[in-house]
Amino acid sequence: MDGSIIGICAFAAVIGLLAIRVPIAFALAAIGTIGTFVIFATRTGAFTPDRAVRPTTSLVFSNSFDLIHSYDLSMIPLFIALGHIAYRADITTRIYDAARVWLARVPGGVAMASVVGCGGFSAITGSSIACASTMGRICSPEMLRMGYDKSLATASVAAGGTLGSLIPPSVLFIIYGIFTETSISSLFLAGILPGILSLLGFLLTIFIWVKRKPSAAPAFTGVITGRDKWLAAVGAWPALALFGLIVGGIYGGFFTATEAAAICVAAAILIGFAQRKLTLTDLWESLRETCIQTSAIFLIAAAAKIFVAFIALTGVAPVIVNGVSDAQLSPVVLLAAIALIYLVLGMFLDPIGIMVLTLPLMVPLVESYGFNLIWFGVVVIKLLEIGLITPPVGLNVFVISNVVGKAVPIDRIFSGITRFLAIDVLVLILIMSFPIISLLIPNSL
Amino acid sequence: MLHRIERLLLDLACCAVVALGALITISVALRVTVNGGIPDTIVMVRELMVMAIVLPLAAATTARAHIVVEFLSNRMPLRTQGWLVVAGGVMGLLALSPLLYAGWNEAAHAITGGSYYFGQLNLPKWPGRVLFLIGMSFCWLRLLLLVIGDVRTLRSGGVPQMSQTTTSSFTEDGDKS
Amino acid sequence: QTTLILGEAGPNRGARAVATQAFADDVTARTNGDLQIDIQWGGALFKADAALQGVSDGVADLGTIIGVYFPQEMVAYGIADLPLQNADAWVGMRATDALMRTDPSIAANLADQDLVYLGTFTTSAVNIGCKDTAIRTAEDIEGLKVRGVGAYGKVFNDLGANMVAMSIYDAYQGLDTGLLDCSQGYSYAVAALKQQEVMTSYTLMDWGQVGALGIFMNKFAYDALSPEHQQALNDAGVGMADTLGRLINADNDAAVQTMQEAGVEVITLDAAERDKLVARGAPYIDTWIEQANAAGLDGAGMLDRYRTLLAEFTAERDAQGYPWDR
Ligand code: NA
Ligand code: NA
Repeated sequence: MDGSIIGICAFAAVIGLLAIRVPIAFALAAIGTIGTFVIFATRTGAFTPDRAVRPTTSLVFSNSFDLIHSYDLSMIPLFIALGHIAYRADITTRIYDAARVWLARVPGGVAMASVVGCGGFSAITGSSIACASTMGRICSPEMLRMGYDKSLATASVAAGGTLGSLIPPSVLFIIYGIFTETSISSLFLAGILPGILSLLGFLLTIFIWVKRKPSAAPAFTGVITGRDKWLAAVGAWPALALFGLIVGGIYGGFFTATEAAAICVAAAILIGFAQRKLTLTDLWESLRETCIQTSAIFLIAAAAKIFVAFIALTGVAPVIVNGVSDAQLSPVVLLAAIALIYLVLGMFLDPIGIMVLTLPLMVPLVESYGFNLIWFGVVVIKLLEIGLITPPVGLNVFVISNVVGKAVPIDRIFSGITRFLAIDVLVLILIMSFPIISLLIPNSL
Repeated sequence: MLHRIERLLLDLACCAVVALGALITISVALRVTVNGGIPDTIVMVRELMVMAIVLPLAAATTARAHIVVEFLSNRMPLRTQGWLVVAGGVMGLLALSPLLYAGWNEAAHAITGGSYYFGQLNLPKWPGRVLFLIGMSFCWLRLLLLVIGDVRTLRSGGVPQMSQTTTSSFTEDGDKS
Repeated sequence: QTTLILGEAGPNRGARAVATQAFADDVTARTNGDLQIDIQWGGALFKADAALQGVSDGVADLGTIIGVYFPQEMVAYGIADLPLQNADAWVGMRATDALMRTDPSIAANLADQDLVYLGTFTTSAVNIGCKDTAIRTAEDIEGLKVRGVGAYGKVFNDLGANMVAMSIYDAYQGLDTGLLDCSQGYSYAVAALKQQEVMTSYTLMDWGQVGALGIFMNKFAYDALSPEHQQALNDAGVGMADTLGRLINADNDAAVQTMQEAGVEVITLDAAERDKLVARGAPYIDTWIEQANAAGLDGAGMLDRYRTLLAEFTAERDAQGYPWDR
């Protein structure tokens, strides 16, 4: 059977299984495994299932094990633990109370503060998943506590988390740079303005949302004195100290972003104990919650990795890219086609998987049209970031869903996401139409 | 019995998170203060990651923490949804079986072959693989018991517990905007 | 017509990717189109640290295996990573290739793992670049924060460096922020990753290379081919050394020029200082001999043979020049 047909059937099967509420991880892993088995069993033309067992099991093991067996990803359990510990040690509540007092007059001020927080946090982590899992644990429960609309409280952070890879440092830009032999430092610089633009887009979304439906973000109704503001700001010091520690540590050359996660957890524990807000029992409960959440997130990511390896075997990606390449499109239509390809793949696959599958063919095509590769990199990363929040497979949404648990069903998060997506597409069109937005900073340095 | 084992595995995973956090923190502290370090930190952290992530899988399954999309299914009758939960569990058993089989082969291979990681300490490769096998095995077993229990509940006319994001929580607030 | 899958953990850019593609094209040409090779870049099928199992289990028919990830399984191949005094990329590759291709005990050791050797690459000569400091003597290394790899990293550690673990891709930021003083690397990689922007000095060590990386094939897939097709794969494998040697030498020369133009001081390490490094590496060579013996191979004998081959190809280069210059 033709590999690309198997691939397209697999996409359909994933949608079907998700629709009948099969857990995402199981749907991706099962389809990926069965599809891999079929490909290996039919490779020689005849059906030889006995020859497919060893390569199939090897592929599923190595792809899932290698994902988990990672030093760089250790920042994910650590940052999730940071969120839990900071919550129990009262660190996050205090900064949220401060935000509420200071931003009382801004409609949806706390949601906006959360998105700005995501922007700041993305300057630390190189990964959107890490950004979403940490900020999700910190921001969404606090917004829910303040009576924010469930969609707004979760979707804003899922969207804000996508800044993680656009604002440097960024693992995705590093991989893109390796695949295109473009300067990683130029790519980092090119991501800054589009990242800020996306951030402003998210703020605008929140503003419009809350203007049209003020009950989505209950305003602070009490009387606020200057003394209240001062006290709230003073109370927020541990959170600000933690943030200062991370940024100073990374940019001062004391530790890497991965190491920063561990340092921050240690500091949060110390602050919690010193302020007598954290007990050993609290700490252990935080760790238990951390482990259960991390394990569910990694199971999905590992299943997604298996699915990507299977899609690589099908050869469906080259078929699509070559189809576009052979069509001899005009530059504008080509860009639209590329955007469509990345958006569709982004519905199912994870960003790194998509890059690995498409860039070897896409980059020569794009070069033959004379496009600037730095700018194209920003476009690709922005498209991949959008894929993190589109259904049916939206890793950032899963992360937030996992973190908030019973409180908000995943469909509510996706329904909130649609509003952010609308403006995100506008931002994308701006980035695609005006390369100068991406190239201004790298060109002027 | 299984619950106690799951608790133990979860607590071991917590220990792994503490250990990897401490390992990284101490090596940074040593570097900044005495210009020293701990050999093979990366290898040890990677092995601890397997412990931290795979061991709690059974507990996560018990907590029904696996994320599902349910905007279609939650319009169906509750008993139909119950059967879908069972179907999802069966799909999980199917998806994890090859991993279990491969995990067994890999663990056996790493132990008998004596593979190790290049580094200052030449640490062996088997611990991570054995931990992977243990975590996957208990997850599979727990999933099987859940499926059996859910089928029994359905046969006796009841409705099994759903995942964390349940229909009941969806309807608990009147806001359907 | 048969399509073979080749799993490669790296990107489709750079000298090694060009050599891999040239190998694939060469195989197709030598078999009149009967054998096609579909290369899966970027670790889409398996990452570098799962490549050995991937090829051995048939996830891909062929794959690039990097020896340092499998010190036990690839102990024979590890000879090419030893800090011997052999900095010439082409000489190193041809000597490694000749040893791997002709030693029956290595072939048997690989066959036990369902592997067949096809051809070799190298990262080329190991050098070191620093920011706000410079390595002119072996003693200069003491107290520096260094990113090092393999036995070379172990020697830096023995010389009193404080080893900082990070990937070569993170080294730019590490040097920039001062987390690193120096980073071990290869000239072309420095230029490709634009590290000259954050380096102030680059020391050519004329020491050794990391050469245990190459293409291996699944034994069942190999045995299923006709002898003519097997021969075509082997011949194309030998040719890889010449292709990569030509490309990497040109890239390295251009990279050193780029560094100089960027104001990086390029230092040639004094031969006496280099010899101190080589002497410091000796214990790791002895360790390797023991490991090879433990795996049932003749470690000392293989090393003698390898040194002889290095001398032979050095002599060939000195007499006739590189093949692409002839
Ligand atoms: Na970032
Ligand atoms: Na998506």
